[in-house]
Amino acid sequence: MKAGLTERLHAPHEQRSRRVRQGINAIASRNASALPGLVMLLIVVSCNAFLQPDFFSADSLSSNLQNAAPVILVCMAQAVIVLLGELDLSVGAGISLVNCVLAAVPSLTGWGTAATCVAALAVALAAGVCNGVLVGYFRQSALIATFATGAIWFGGALLLMPQPGGAVPEVLGEWFAMRVGVLPLAAVPVIAAWALWAVLQRHRFGRRLIATGSSADAVFKSGVDTRVVKLLGYVLAWLFVFGAALCISAQTSSGDARLGLPYTLNSVAAVVIGGVSLAGGRGSMIGAICGALVLVLIGNVVYFAGIPSNYQEVFKGAVILLALGCTFISARKPV
Amino acid sequence: MNAMLNSRRTLLLVLMVVVMVGGQWAVPGFTNADQLANQLKIATFLGLFGISQTLVMIAGGQGLDLSVGAAATLGGIVGAAVIGAGSAGLPLALVAAALCGAVVGVINGCGITVFRVPPLVMTLAMASLVDGGLIVWSSLLHVNTAASATLVALAGRSVAGVPTVAVLWLVAGTLVWWFLDRSAWGRRLMATGANPTAALLTGARVRVVRIAAYTASAVIAALTGVLLVGYVGQAFLGLGSGYVLTSVVVAVIGGVSLGGGRGDYVAVAIAAVFITVLTSLLTALQIGEAGRQCIFGATLLVFLAVNGWSMGRRAVAA
Repeated sequence: MKAGLTERLHAPHEQRSRRVRQGINAIASRNASALPGLVMLLIVVSCNAFLQPDFFSADSLSSNLQNAAPVILVCMAQAVIVLLGELDLSVGAGISLVNCVLAAVPSLTGWGTAATCVAALAVALAAGVCNGVLVGYFRQSALIATFATGAIWFGGALLLMPQPGGAVPEVLGEWFAMRVGVLPLAAVPVIAAWALWAVLQRHRFGRRLIATGSSADAVFKSGVDTRVVKLLGYVLAWLFVFGAALCISAQTSSGDARLGLPYTLNSVAAVVIGGVSLAGGRGSMIGAICGALVLVLIGNVVYFAGIPSNYQEVFKGAVILLALGCTFISARKPV
Repeated sequence: MNAMLNSRRTLLLVLMVVVMVGGQWAVPGFTNADQLANQLKIATFLGLFGISQTLVMIAGGQGLDLSVGAAATLGGIVGAAVIGAGSAGLPLALVAAALCGAVVGVINGCGITVFRVPPLVMTLAMASLVDGGLIVWSSLLHVNTAASATLVALAGRSVAGVPTVAVLWLVAGTLVWWFLDRSAWGRRLMATGANPTAALLTGARVRVVRIAAYTASAVIAALTGVLLVGYVGQAFLGLGSGYVLTSVVVAVIGGVSLGGGRGDYVAVAIAAVFITVLTSLLTALQIGEAGRQCIFGATLLVFLAVNGWSMGRRAVAA
C-alpha cells in the first residue's frame, strides 16, 4: 500500500502506463474465455467466405445480419442469465408468446402498432419478473422452474393463436427490411442491446450481476440483496427476449406458437460455445455473440457446401459437440 | 426421511385417486377396465423413461439426461432393423439396442465426468448428434422398421386385462427399488449424489458410478425404445422425443432432488401414472393443448413448491 503511494507520488507517468497495462490485461483476461468461440467464428466465417464468394458484399452481409439478429438477441438474454448463475429454458416459449401477442392483439382489440408493441413489451417483462421471482425470491431450481413457466408461456401463445396466422403490424416488417447505407435497421436492436449491456457492465448493477453468478453467498454477505439482483437480471434478459421476438415477428410477419421453441436450446448451446460458464460468473458477452454467429453461419456453410439436407443435422450436431470439446478442454487448464 | 418419502407417495396416490374420481364424475366410463389398462400401458413407457431420469438425477452434479429420447429412437430403429434382418428376432434386437444405448451412455458419462461438460449441454449435444445420425441412417439404409409379431404381443397385448408391458414395468420397477434402496451399489449412487467428496473419501469411485448411471440410463431408454416400437407398431424418427421432458417432469414430481442424492422410484412410478391420468382426463374434457400446457406447467410449479417446502421442513427437523 505504502509502496503504491510513493510510486504514485514520484512517478505518475509510470503509474499511468502500468494502469493502462493492467486495464488491458483485465479486458484480455475477462474475454479470454471467449477465445475458443472467437476462433470457431473465424473458422466458420472463412469457410463461409470460401464457399460463398460474395459473402462480404453488402447484400449478403445485411441478409445474414437480419437472420442473425434474433439469434444474437436470444443468446445475449441467455448469457445475462447464465452469467447470473441461473438458466432460462422458457426464452423460446417466451418468443412465441410475444410473437403471438404481436400478431393477435391488433385484430382482437384494434390497437395500433405502438400500443401493440407496448403490450408485447409488458408481456415479456411480466414473464421475466415471474421467472425472476420464482428463481430469486422462491429459490427454485432455475432449470425446472423456467421449464414449467415455459410450458405456461407456450400454453398462452397457443391460446392466443391456436393455428399459425394473424398479422404482425406491417410497419415492423418494413422497418426490418430497411437499410441505411450498409447498415440494415435489423442491426439496431442488437447494437442497442449491446450498448445497454456495455453500460450496465461498467456500473454497479452489472458488477453485482456477475458477482452474484460467481458467488451469491459472498455477495449476499457483503450486504447486497441477491434476490433483487436476480430479479433485475431476468428482467434485463427478457428485454432482450422482447427484442428477439420483435425481430422474428418482423421477419415472418405472422404469428406461430411453435416459432420460438427451437431458440431455447440453441441459445444455451451458443452461450456454451461462447465460453460462458454455466456455473455462472465467468464469461463475456462477446463470447456469447460469437457463439450465436457460429450457430447462424454453420447453417449457411452447410447450405453452401451443398451438403445433402439429411446430413445437415448430424453435421451441426458434430460441430456443436466439437465446439463443446474445445471449450471445455481449453477451460480446464486455467481454473 | 422415511416419513417424507411415504408422504410423497401418499400425496401422489391421493391426487391420482382424486383425478380418477373426478374423471369418472365428469366423463362417465373414464375408469372402466379397458380404459385403465390403456392408461397403464401409456404410463408404463413414461415410468420406464422415469427410471433413466431418476438414476442420473440421483447421481448428482445437476444430473439430467436429455438424450433419453434420442437413445430410445436409436434403440427402436436398430432393434427393428435387427428383427427384420434375421430369424434370431427379439432377443438379438434387445441386445443390439442395449449395446447402442451403452455407447451413447458411456460417451455421455465420459463427457460429463472427464471433460466436465454440464449434463444438460452434454446430453443435449449427444441427442442432436444421435438424431442427426439417424436421419442419415434412414436416408441411406432402407431396412425393416415394422415391429415383429412377438414384439407387438409383448408390448401391445394384455393378458387377463393386464397389459404385458405393465408386468415388465412392475418387474423393472421392483428391481430399481431394490437397487436404490437395498443394494450396496444403490448406496454408493446415493452417496455420490449427496456429497461426491465424502463418497470419494469413503471409497466410492465417483466417476465410475456417474458413468455407470448415464450408461444405465441410456441402455434403459434404448430398451424402452424397442418396446415402444412394439406398442406403436413401427420405428420412426422422433419415436422417443416426446418423452424427454415429460420424464424429467415425472422425476421431479416424484420428489427426486435435482441436487442429487435423494429419490424414491416408487413415488416416481406413481407420478408417471398420475401424469398419464391427468393428461388423459384433460384430453377427455376436450381441453385444448393450450390449456393442457398451462395446467402442466402449473402442476410442476406446485410440486416444486412442495419439494422446497418439504426440504425446508427437513432442514428444520435436522
